[in-house]
Amino acid sequence: MSAALPEAATAVRPGRLRRLAALLDPRAGPARWPILIALVTILAWVVVGATIDLWAPYDPVALAGRRLQPPNASHWLGTDALGRDVLVRTLYGVRFSLPIAAGVLVTAVAIGCVLGALAGFFGGLLDGVLMRLADVTLSFPAMLLAMAIAASLGPGLFNAGLAMVIVWWPIYARLMRAQVLSVRSLEHVDAAVAMGASSPRILVRHVLPLCWTPILVNATVDISQIILLVAGLSFIGLGARPPTPEWGQMIAEGATNFYNWWIAAGPGLAILALSLAFSFIGDGLRDLLDPRSR
Amino acid sequence: MRAGQMKAALVLGIAVSLAGLAVPTRAADTRPLVVARNMDLTSLDPARSFCDTCQIYLSAVYQTLVTLAADNRTLAPNLATSWEVSPDQTRFVFKLAPNAVFSDGAPVTSADVAWSLTRLKNMKSDASFLMEALTAVETPDDKTVVLRTAQPNSEFLNMLASSYAGIINRKVAEANGAVGGENASTADQADNWFFANSAGSGPYKLALYRNGDQLRLVSNDKFWGTAPKVAEIIIKQVPDAVAQLQMLQTGGADVAMQIDPDTAASIKDQNLVLDTVPSYNFIYLALGVGSKANTVPLTKPIREAIAAAIDYQGLIDFTVGGKGRPQPVAIPNGFPGTTDLPLPKQDLALAKAKLAEAGQPNGFTMKSAYPAVNSYGVDLSLMMQKLQQDLGRVGIKLELEPITFAVWRERVAKDGIPITASYYAPDYFGTVQYVQFFSMMSTSSWVKRSHADKVQGVVNEKEGELLKQALAATPTEAERIYREIALEMIGDKVIIPVVSPDLILASRKGVTGVRYSACCNLALSQVGRQ
Repeated sequence: MSAALPEAATAVRPGRLRRLAALLDPRAGPARWPILIALVTILAWVVVGATIDLWAPYDPVALAGRRLQPPNASHWLGTDALGRDVLVRTLYGVRFSLPIAAGVLVTAVAIGCVLGALAGFFGGLLDGVLMRLADVTLSFPAMLLAMAIAASLGPGLFNAGLAMVIVWWPIYARLMRAQVLSVRSLEHVDAAVAMGASSPRILVRHVLPLCWTPILVNATVDISQIILLVAGLSFIGLGARPPTPEWGQMIAEGATNFYNWWIAAGPGLAILALSLAFSFIGDGLRDLLDPRSR
Repeated sequence: MRAGQMKAALVLGIAVSLAGLAVPTRAADTRPLVVARNMDLTSLDPARSFCDTCQIYLSAVYQTLVTLAADNRTLAPNLATSWEVSPDQTRFVFKLAPNAVFSDGAPVTSADVAWSLTRLKNMKSDASFLMEALTAVETPDDKTVVLRTAQPNSEFLNMLASSYAGIINRKVAEANGAVGGENASTADQADNWFFANSAGSGPYKLALYRNGDQLRLVSNDKFWGTAPKVAEIIIKQVPDAVAQLQMLQTGGADVAMQIDPDTAASIKDQNLVLDTVPSYNFIYLALGVGSKANTVPLTKPIREAIAAAIDYQGLIDFTVGGKGRPQPVAIPNGFPGTTDLPLPKQDLALAKAKLAEAGQPNGFTMKSAYPAVNSYGVDLSLMMQKLQQDLGRVGIKLELEPITFAVWRERVAKDGIPITASYYAPDYFGTVQYVQFFSMMSTSSWVKRSHADKVQGVVNEKEGELLKQALAATPTEAERIYREIALEMIGDKVIIPVVSPDLILASRKGVTGVRYSACCNLALSQVGRQ
């Protein structure tokens, strides 16, 4: 039986762990540093987001000092037009960007994978309808479609997240369908069919476990895009509402105070740091999991 | 270049000598003068347009019977050289300038005046309220116009100085689809024509308008008055203050009027002149007393509590860096009836007492949608966040929702908004427009917008009665009555003015004649170069 199973399903586990350890081994040279720095960065953001209430020196939505102060000893990233501390607001921002990005991703992946798996496994009319729906959604630029949806739902972080789920699910549906299609024709699936296993059992036990790798890689890379898109929607007023210290919203406030560069610099750097970190992780995971890229 | 100039001079010389002395002097400066501006144009038709940029354009291209002098108070002759008002202030007789001509050379006649003013009234557009009082127009001869109002109207002359009351060349406009009769609002087809042509008697005429790009004016070579100082003016669409300032710095623009104080404060440039002047513009809060979304009834003690919780000076500091003035009532400082009004001030103890009196000692929640715009240098979003902090101190929690202006208009009209903000700029020098717009007399615009007519005890008919008296009174008496109305409006506590932001007139060194006008925003014909 095991001879019929593809290499991916059997031989990888110990190999993967070894490769993961190798991937994170700083002794392996400068090529490993980005992913290590990325991991530390994300971990740091998570810790900041979880604990900031305990140690933040200022309230993110209240007056912290004279308005429009450039960076100085008591306000490391200066103050904004309402005298709020830019650094504190930037750090609070991760409480919005990260959970929303994760939430959008998990929802989009869940919806996309279920629909994609059904379409790929059962084919026929279901496949046709679902994939045309995905095609239509994918034929619009993501930002534009998200803007249109968010605008019609009304401004707000939840609506912005909902808009992004609508924009994002087809990507995973297509990916999952392609994976299911290729796995479905493998011999171990034929064997399961021959043994009389039911369709749901075959899908869940024999097909899906072989399909998650590209999804995971894609999701890690996408999370940085979603962070950018959330910020983008907030920047144009379709995401977070004031006075929420959301990064896109803060950059929009900084844009009207162009010459007081520090207002937009804090959230800008935060977006850069977090999305870059996820991109590095995504690249690393691909190296680890995708046999073709090795 | 020099040969070209000589040629131009020669051609000009020949033209002048051929036409004789009747030809007025041409504009001296041939380099175009560029005004960088975020244009809010909706129409270039005097009877249809209603915006700040419209005022600038209309006052350069069309002439009104009378205009506002440089002191922004007194009226000066324009198309009319003299006028008489009957003692009961219902009959207004104007003598037109005998030599006034339109840009096609046709004389300006009383028929043109009658047609233009009735067309404005009949168009039922935003600015039509200016001619609402007009009941009859007589034209005893070509150069005499008699305007009549049913009720005494001591402010009618001021309304005629509004740029929307500009006089149009009737023959030309009618040939291009304009209709002046009672069916004007439906039958008139000239809106598009006005985007590409003009038919006025002012110092400039329209050369080109491209939406989102530029508005180009050239001097009217048939202009019958003093020639403008520059031959060509380009108003360039530049959306934000930073870009406007950068254009000024690089020499791409000569004048900009929409630079906010924070941006201006961050720049030191010897080639720029930044002049800060008080303006008649103001930003106000409005309470939707009859709004559907109210969680508690906005009774008078509640409204007084809100007004007392606001840190007025703080708002001025935070929104315009202190470059603004507090304003007691929704009538601009300096307009008739605004002398010595009590200034609003923060009193948290009073606010809390009033909340307790209204049975809400712990405060309540209010939904606050507002247009997400930056008007006159004030970022409304920033202002509302500051307000949120202020009201939070007495327990009133604001839920902020920035929306587009179009959505805001619709919401205010339909269900109302519990607490919102907006802005206003004058159309002429006079108090009546503010009473009609902001008071709580039953016909006012904000009675409808605040839905005050749906609740008890907010509509204030006394203001309407006083207004009638003021319109029939002498100027001094009217001023006293306007002040009484202002006190009533302050007592209403429905419209709460927050700040009258100063205006920054920014220009390149050497540009002259840039001044703020209450009727016309910027008088282009007076702008020139040293």
